[in-house]
Amino acid sequence: MLVGKSKAKPNGKKPAAEEKKVYLEPEHTKSRITDFEFKELVVLPREIDLNEWLASNTTTFFHHINLQYSTISEFCTGETCQTMAVCNTQYYWYDERGKKVKCTAPQYVDFVMSSVQKLVTDEDVFPTKYGREFPSSFESLVKKICKYLFHVLGHIYWAHFKETLALELHGHLNTLYVHFILFAREFNLLDPKETAVMDDLTEVLCSSPGNSGATGDGASSGASGAQNHVKER
Amino acid sequence: MAMTAGATTTFPMSSHTRERVTVAKLTLENFYSNLILQHEERETRQKKLEVAMEEEGLADEEKKLRRSQHARKETEFLRLKRTRLGLDDFESLKVIGRGAFGEVRLVQKKDTGHIYAMKILRKADMLEKEQVAHIRAERDILVEADGAWVVKMFYSFQDKRNLYLIMEFLPGGDMMTLLMKKDTLTEEETQFYISETVLAIDAIHQLGFIHRDIKPDNLLLDAKGHVKLSDFGLCTGLKKAHRTEFYRNLTHNPPSDFSFQNMNSKRKAETWKKNRRQLAYSTVGTPDYIAPEVFMQTGYNKLCDWWSLGVIMYEMLIGFPPFCSETPQETYRKVMSWKETLAFPPEVPVSEKAKDLILRFCTDSENRIGNGGVEEIKGHPFFEGVDWGHIRERPAAIPIEIRSIDDTSNFDDFPESDILQPVPNTTEPDYKSKDWVFLNYTYKRFEGLTQRGSIPTYMKAGKL
Repeated sequence: MLVGKSKAKPNGKKPAAEEKKVYLEPEHTKSRITDFEFKELVVLPREIDLNEWLASNTTTFFHHINLQYSTISEFCTGETCQTMAVCNTQYYWYDERGKKVKCTAPQYVDFVMSSVQKLVTDEDVFPTKYGREFPSSFESLVKKICKYLFHVLGHIYWAHFKETLALELHGHLNTLYVHFILFAREFNLLDPKETAVMDDLTEVLCSSPGNSGATGDGASSGASGAQNHVKER
Repeated sequence: MAMTAGATTTFPMSSHTRERVTVAKLTLENFYSNLILQHEERETRQKKLEVAMEEEGLADEEKKLRRSQHARKETEFLRLKRTRLGLDDFESLKVIGRGAFGEVRLVQKKDTGHIYAMKILRKADMLEKEQVAHIRAERDILVEADGAWVVKMFYSFQDKRNLYLIMEFLPGGDMMTLLMKKDTLTEEETQFYISETVLAIDAIHQLGFIHRDIKPDNLLLDAKGHVKLSDFGLCTGLKKAHRTEFYRNLTHNPPSDFSFQNMNSKRKAETWKKNRRQLAYSTVGTPDYIAPEVFMQTGYNKLCDWWSLGVIMYEMLIGFPPFCSETPQETYRKVMSWKETLAFPPEVPVSEKAKDLILRFCTDSENRIGNGGVEEIKGHPFFEGVDWGHIRERPAAIPIEIRSIDDTSNFDDFPESDILQPVPNTTEPDYKSKDWVFLNYTYKRFEGLTQRGSIPTYMKAGKL
């Protein structure tokens, strides 16, 4: 039955796909947990080591995306999400030997989180000891991590936005997504072809902080801290 | 909104999911609030540097060097925020203290070589997890306070069995050990230590904290012999004899240990000293230093700390605290009957000023000195001649003699223990034996850690 249902869903069925994108509705896209201008927050501070800035932010995104997914993991099962799907794209896991692995979404997310955890806690990749250097491959590893984390965020929006909405975590998800996308964009960590699947959401979320006073807020964002914790619905 | 609320009420979810939702909301909201703060603070520090360099009239080359040094420090701060520490990041050098719920070790951080005191607390003996988290948060607030009066905490982490606190190492030892060596102090020495402790207690009261466990073993001495307070909140009230229920079936009848009471003060002092170390280890403890109102239904406030200080002052001058007995129950009775039991042995010479101050510390809380503010204490005749504004910069009453930064000669010797033995049959990956250290770690605390390539100032003094 489920298999049949899956077959009956052709890739080109745009009308059905469009109907599913609840996350694009204006009342949801304007929801945030902070109105601060993220463009300013993601820029490399003066003379700070680039790799350290990447490491610090990447580690944080890993934890927060993992945490966001954990809130809907109960609803992301092998039955409801037979593939790691984001819109009409399906992701496959590639193991250490490059072999393509077909798996359900929860399995894919588990592979992602396990492998990223391993990397961010590997002292040879993300050094924490005083004086230790980053490996020369560090930036490419960060790009790989960001690609995987993007897949998880995309899946949450595509398959579990209703649950996220019901849990009143959509403002948190939007804030996290904007921060992540702007950071990745600042340092060219995500291939535009890779993120094209979510371009419609990205365009809406990243073009404005989410309220009608965006321009005014933007003008004063450098000096203002008074907008903390503003939530809109 | 109505639709969302409706959806929420009908949306089925497990308790695990509900918990994850709460954690996610708190974590993300807290993170973004702090992210903005950190951004603003970083910019402020940068501007401050530029202004300072301009005022100093530095040459461009020198400015470039200072900017580079500053940036290196900021980079290191970012790294520390990612750092996860575990036991294997430290080398244990020696056990320097033992308490009811754990012990203190002298340790060296392997990658930097810096010396710290590591306080190890067994989780099984501690409060509920939520309370521990709350207490740690309170402690974090305190750590931001004036480090002059409070032992600095640099890191904390945990594993399945223990909570670890990485503290500043104070080579002077604690007041309990000093009193055990010296038996009593002179009035000049007592004036010095009580004055410094007044300032230390006032500093934490101003932050809105009550210490509630002021006693000689919690008064530490730094490399120059000055006082610092230790042990805030973490184990407060844990010892059985520090809780009211321990005495539930005990009446307030007068104490009945006549033979002990009739000992002369010298023998009392000897008995106290003999049992002192063991008493500090005991999980039962004794209410010697606890104000009577702490055990009453009426509640208590920060003035209870001044009572404790009065008890310590008495012990410094006489050789034992005023209500000491052979059992905590007898001590409790004496504390609750302080009007009759607080007395000065006739054979021990004590000045009238000292007696008066002790009696004003150890009285009911309404009439206790300090009720009208700390200035009331500072104005007492016993403190005549105390330079309150500069006492910390002046030589201490008793100099500390140490030969190196890791000198532990001012501590007793302790046999090794099994508190750090690994849990058998563990198959967990390495990263699960470490803990994230720096939730909401702030730059201010970080500054105390960034003296790379040189011995931190509090350790440098030890070499002189």
